[in-house]
Amino acid sequence: MATFPLKILTPDGVAYDGPAVSVSCRTINGQVQLLAKHIDFCTALGMGEAHIKLEDGTTRRAACMGGMLSMLKGECRLLATTFEWADAIDAERAARSKTRAEEMLAQKNLDKRDMELAEARLKRALVRSSVAARKDI
Amino acid sequence: MAGSMKEIKLRIRSVESTMQITKAMELVASSKLRRAKERVEGSRPYFETLYETLFDIVRTDSAFDSPYLAKRETNRRLYIVIAGDRGLAGGYNANILKAIEADAAGSDYCVLPIGKKAVEHFERRKANVLTTAFAEAGDLSVSDCFEISRLVCQKFLAGEFDEIRLGFTQFVSMLTQTATVLPVLPFDAKRPEPGHERESLMLYEPDGKAVFDAIIPEYLAGVVYGALCESVASEQGARRMAMDAATKNAGEMIDHLNLYYNRARQAAITQEITEIVAGADAES
Repeated sequence: MATFPLKILTPDGVAYDGPAVSVSCRTINGQVQLLAKHIDFCTALGMGEAHIKLEDGTTRRAACMGGMLSMLKGECRLLATTFEWADAIDAERAARSKTRAEEMLAQKNLDKRDMELAEARLKRALVRSSVAARKDI
Repeated sequence: MAGSMKEIKLRIRSVESTMQITKAMELVASSKLRRAKERVEGSRPYFETLYETLFDIVRTDSAFDSPYLAKRETNRRLYIVIAGDRGLAGGYNANILKAIEADAAGSDYCVLPIGKKAVEHFERRKANVLTTAFAEAGDLSVSDCFEISRLVCQKFLAGEFDEIRLGFTQFVSMLTQTATVLPVLPFDAKRPEPGHERESLMLYEPDGKAVFDAIIPEYLAGVVYGALCESVASEQGARRMAMDAATKNAGEMIDHLNLYYNRARQAAITQEITEIVAGADAES
């Protein structure tokens, strides 16, 4: 299948740089998938699972949160705040962070900021554990 | 004479031990500097692309309006100031704090200090401090920067501040670091004339404004993180230079003291010989 150059960048450095057959991830508008020869495109990312299909047919999964996805002159760039390959996720840490966030949210007298922080933490933990749990694909 | 010889010897020893400390600090700073530089280089492509994208959206699309773009009359400014946690880094802390004072002179402003030295400085000055939750510049991670960005964006949208500026030290080279004050919000870019709607064929999903508004907090976090990395590298660079100079000075001082010591020793020997000769003369 036709491939296109894909660059995955995070604030910590480059997570992937090479050809890909397709890239699929969660945006603010829902799940999208880009293939080669897509028109110039740009959107912001939500929180969810990303699938990168490589040239040899294997699919790599990752937790991908925040940032943007763009396709410019056939080159695709995925800028993610957090991008963790499924095999690199620390499932135990995600589970711990989930329980901690739930405990925080259980308290009644939270102010708005703490509430938002706890919610964001819970969301991140849920995405991470769901990506890590699905080892089948 | 013997007394002064002992004093000089002690002095030499104390300077030597100071020199050992400054030398060790220099080595630590250079190894930390290397790591900090790697961090700066690793994060650069991410933020540069973000900035370019934002810039492109604003430049090519005049059809939307965002609160992040609107220029308001500046009544209240927020300064995000990044300084170091420790001293002994030459002019590093003083330079950035002075640059902020000069930039803010006469206006009503509020600060968000990052780094212990910045916190101490603005508390002593009794300036309006937004929060001191980010006192440790060395320990801040990407997620802390996102928290800062969320907080600042919220305040900006609520109208508490009309302009956000970021004060940090730019790492120009190993030898030069410059204190810089950079306006970050409202986002400054040239808008096209109304009527020239879209030039590019880029498809923004769902639309330019939504993408822009979603990316701005990321961009701000990115700028803060980038500035933080630069500042940490600058601090280590400045400390390395200061400690290098201190080590050199200590070396010179030891050379001088050694000279005095040898002179004193020679004088003592000469005196002894004179006394012996005088004694022998008296005998005969």
